[in-house]
Amino acid sequence: MSAGILAIEARGLRKVFGSGETAVRALDGIDFEVTEGEMVAVMGPSGSGKSTLLHLLGALETPTEGVVAIAGKRFDGLSDRHLTLLRRDRIGFVFQFFNLLPALSAEENVVLPALIAGRRDKEVRERARGLLARVGLEARASHLPKELSGGEQQRVSIARALLLEPELILADEPTGNLDSRSSAEVLDLLGSLSGEEGHSIVIVTHDPGAAARAKRIVFLRDGKLAGEVEGGSTQRVIDRFAELEG
Amino acid sequence: MRSFGALAWRQITARPVRAFLTAAGIVLGVAMIFAVLTLSATVQNTFDDLFASVYGRTDLIVAGEDQTSLGPAISDRVAAVDGVAAAEQRLLGIFVLVGPDGRASEDPGSTLNIAGEDPRVDDLTDSRIVSGRRVRNGNEVNLQDSWADSQGIELGDRVRFATPAGVKALRVVGLFEFSTGLEFGGQGFGLIPLRRARSLLDRPRGSDEIAVAVDPDADPEAVARQLRRALPSAVKVQTPAAQSEDVQAQLQGFDTVIFFFAAMALFVGGFLIYNSFNMTVLQRTREIGMLRTVGARRGAIVALVEREALILGTVGSLFGLGLGLGLTHLLVELLRASDLPVGKLDFTPTAPIAAVVTGVGTAAFGALIPALRASRVPPIQAVLGTEGLRGRPRPLRGLIGVTLIAAGAAGAYNLGAADQVSNAEIAGGMAGTLGVFLGIALVAPFLIGPMVRVLSAPARWLLPAEGRLAADAARSDAIRTAATATGLLIGLALVVAIQTLGSSFLRSIEDELDRTFARDLTVQPRGFSPGAGPQQSISHRVSAALARIDEAKVVAPQRMLFVEELPEPPPPDQRSGSKTSGVLFAFDPDVFDQVDQTTIEDATREQAFAGLKKGGVTIGRGLADEYGIGVGDTLLLDGPAGKRRAPIVGIVRTVFAGGQTVGMSLATIERIYGVTADSLIAIKARSEQDRAALRSKVDRLLANRFPNLEALSNEEVKADAEDQFQQVFGFFGAIVAVAVIASLFGIINTLSMSVFERTREIGVLRALGATRRQIRRTIAIESLMIGLIGALLGIGVGAAIGWALLKGLAAGVPGVTYTAPISTIVGVVIAGIVLGLLASILPARRAARQDVIDALGYE
Repeated sequence: MSAGILAIEARGLRKVFGSGETAVRALDGIDFEVTEGEMVAVMGPSGSGKSTLLHLLGALETPTEGVVAIAGKRFDGLSDRHLTLLRRDRIGFVFQFFNLLPALSAEENVVLPALIAGRRDKEVRERARGLLARVGLEARASHLPKELSGGEQQRVSIARALLLEPELILADEPTGNLDSRSSAEVLDLLGSLSGEEGHSIVIVTHDPGAAARAKRIVFLRDGKLAGEVEGGSTQRVIDRFAELEG
Repeated sequence: MRSFGALAWRQITARPVRAFLTAAGIVLGVAMIFAVLTLSATVQNTFDDLFASVYGRTDLIVAGEDQTSLGPAISDRVAAVDGVAAAEQRLLGIFVLVGPDGRASEDPGSTLNIAGEDPRVDDLTDSRIVSGRRVRNGNEVNLQDSWADSQGIELGDRVRFATPAGVKALRVVGLFEFSTGLEFGGQGFGLIPLRRARSLLDRPRGSDEIAVAVDPDADPEAVARQLRRALPSAVKVQTPAAQSEDVQAQLQGFDTVIFFFAAMALFVGGFLIYNSFNMTVLQRTREIGMLRTVGARRGAIVALVEREALILGTVGSLFGLGLGLGLTHLLVELLRASDLPVGKLDFTPTAPIAAVVTGVGTAAFGALIPALRASRVPPIQAVLGTEGLRGRPRPLRGLIGVTLIAAGAAGAYNLGAADQVSNAEIAGGMAGTLGVFLGIALVAPFLIGPMVRVLSAPARWLLPAEGRLAADAARSDAIRTAATATGLLIGLALVVAIQTLGSSFLRSIEDELDRTFARDLTVQPRGFSPGAGPQQSISHRVSAALARIDEAKVVAPQRMLFVEELPEPPPPDQRSGSKTSGVLFAFDPDVFDQVDQTTIEDATREQAFAGLKKGGVTIGRGLADEYGIGVGDTLLLDGPAGKRRAPIVGIVRTVFAGGQTVGMSLATIERIYGVTADSLIAIKARSEQDRAALRSKVDRLLANRFPNLEALSNEEVKADAEDQFQQVFGFFGAIVAVAVIASLFGIINTLSMSVFERTREIGVLRALGATRRQIRRTIAIESLMIGLIGALLGIGVGAAIGWALLKGLAAGVPGVTYTAPISTIVGVVIAGIVLGLLASILPARRAARQDVIDALGYE
């Protein structure tokens, strides 16, 4: 376990869907944490519980048991409304299908979280422009999503996730819908955001190459932790994954 | 599922709420059609019964047109014609029951249609005495048994009635029943001896009609021909059946109007079907593509969509019939409240069949374009989904729309401009209105963008995220938003158009009253509504009694007669071929100038009144323009009591009855048209200080002796006019409300669809931290904008239609000026807001409740 301040911390997470005989244990007692500035990848076969983990970390769902805390703030006991506000202010989401609003320009999409928060000051707009520049899309600011390539759309959605300076960025298969060149660009971007700029990032992925860009890779199987490897080498990830499957 | 066709049924049952919202318009439209048809049949039946009852044993009726009366010589001449076995003179009038408190009841059910008959002549009605005996003389009355029953009156009772000559107690010496069981909207029928009727109805001579029975071996047609030869030309000789048809023809105008509104309600219903199926087809693109991939042919797709529409149409129509029953009762109550006698509801098989056929037809027709669109979905769309299918409005569409609007407005203008509204003009006007609505539906998508931008500005400023998202949602499918708003627009535009006409006319009439009423009080029968059938009349005793009040300087009786045919210039100078309906208006030329300052043109007041005294007539500017005649020309006055050429001695500038008026002296109207009783009485006080005393003395006199009469100040006359107007338009309003309610379901449907399509987007917003409340607000703002767009366009379209109708009317009625119905416009804006918010409740709740993860995973 690495030293440093914890961006997010989860203890004894258990999530059961349904009840009685048809109950499904999606997560079965998991501890998980991310230190500030760290990028962690979560891998696992289908049904291993990685999406559920992401949903619990993102306050989209509440655990059956266990606690999640972001920068020391525990989720349990919070109302739906407070969970929503917590999502808005502390967590940035990046989705597989980008999920930009089709009617809004790239810049407007980036500003959206601030609008939702009721902010529309100049500062926000300047920050949005700065973020678009950061992801290399300064020139595309006024384009609609349909006028952007997949990679560009994903970079817009990363800028959107960064707007309100969240403590944690959750990326669900961020390269799952991209060609290899765009994937590389997006992964480079996420890598540099965590490394040099100190953002804490969790990515859920199927792609060993993508996972290898993380500092740590956590493996899940049948709702339980199934080991962890250090990032950096795609081959190591593939080997470990193969062990897990086998 | 046994067959491909059964898929249609599955589609409906899979989404019951959608099916309900789609069919709502049909349900309401069919209810409306059914109610209107039933009502029309009932009214017709009521009059059939009336004629069968009152003229049961009558072969021919000798009478004047409208409410004119026969001169004294007529009855002898009728009796002298060969083949006439019996000729029964009748005087007709209206009595009102007086309650124990001495007041005349205003309940339409306390109205007694009274006939005065000579007891020595055989009864030629269809009545049969069920207890007691027929009246002989004195203060005796026979009453319709069922009516007496409903009023708690028994044989032998002395019953107090307000008659034109004051309150009189009459002894009930007999009760009779018609074999038809006639029910006349709660009103009753009664019989008094002819001599008594002469004094009570203030008709010393003549009669209102003569019922004739012909000799058993004579041919009624031949007798009728002889009678016509023997009698003046203005005396009609008709069989009861022909007379019944005449009365019903007069009711037809009313029928046409309510059919028009019912058709509008159904039009909105069809529009909802069209809009809903368009959305459904778009949403099922992938599915339809798949069906095409697996080998379904185009025809099969059309059949599938149409089958769904037919099922919805049929089920909706059946529900509509149920609702229509309730609606019929509501409309009957409204009609009775406005004094139209409606008897027992007459349920014919035609009404439900016609209603269901129109309902199902409308559904099938509404779904036709969406079905054809569905059939053009290429199989590849199974893969592509709805991508690239959402169309933008094309310029040609706008062009067609603008053309339709222009043509439609011209039709409305024509209808308004028509002197005599013929069927062609009504059809043109209705087609025109329909054209305007279709045109607006085509043009509206172009207006959505700018309107949303403007309307959403406050919302975007207040709630930037919600406002912006709502605006984008409304704009993203301008065609759909436009179609939804158009559904709402139709009902609201009709309201505005009607009220534009109403407020303009009312204002013009009020202005004229302000200008011309030099009187202080008007005495008139309670519930007086000129032009709405036989009215209670006022005996000369009333004006005589009023004249004895010290504070009264002038007491000026007036007589009014609504006629289907106004007098025309005499042949060979006869310039008009068609009938012109209007008002005959009589007053005393010696005093009328003191109570009325109506502008007289082309002659001095002195000349005009002197001319009137000598038997001349004044005519309204509208009539003068129509005939192309003026002062110095003559009119041929041809009534059942006499016939004379009368010089035109002045032109009157009036909006009353559209300027289709002929003014004459009291003596003239009596001599020509046999009218001896007054319609209303104008009174002027000796001085301003005397007004209050005059009023209280008049009120006391009326309360004591003539409780069926009331005295109104000039302000009250105006308020009365407005009330009567609102009563008529309240009836139309009730019908239009159905269309508005139907469009409410349309908005709900569109919003639900919008929410459904945006499931994923809503999920993203929620993930990004939008609260449920923010989501609800977004949907509410979108709905609000649709409602407001509908209201604003409705106001624009309604004002334009109203303006076109009015301009057309004003061309024939000088002096009517356009008055915007401000309160209605404000009301419509509020209605738009309220309907918008109301429609958003369920869809917004559904959107807010969506599970974030499900929504994100949704494709």
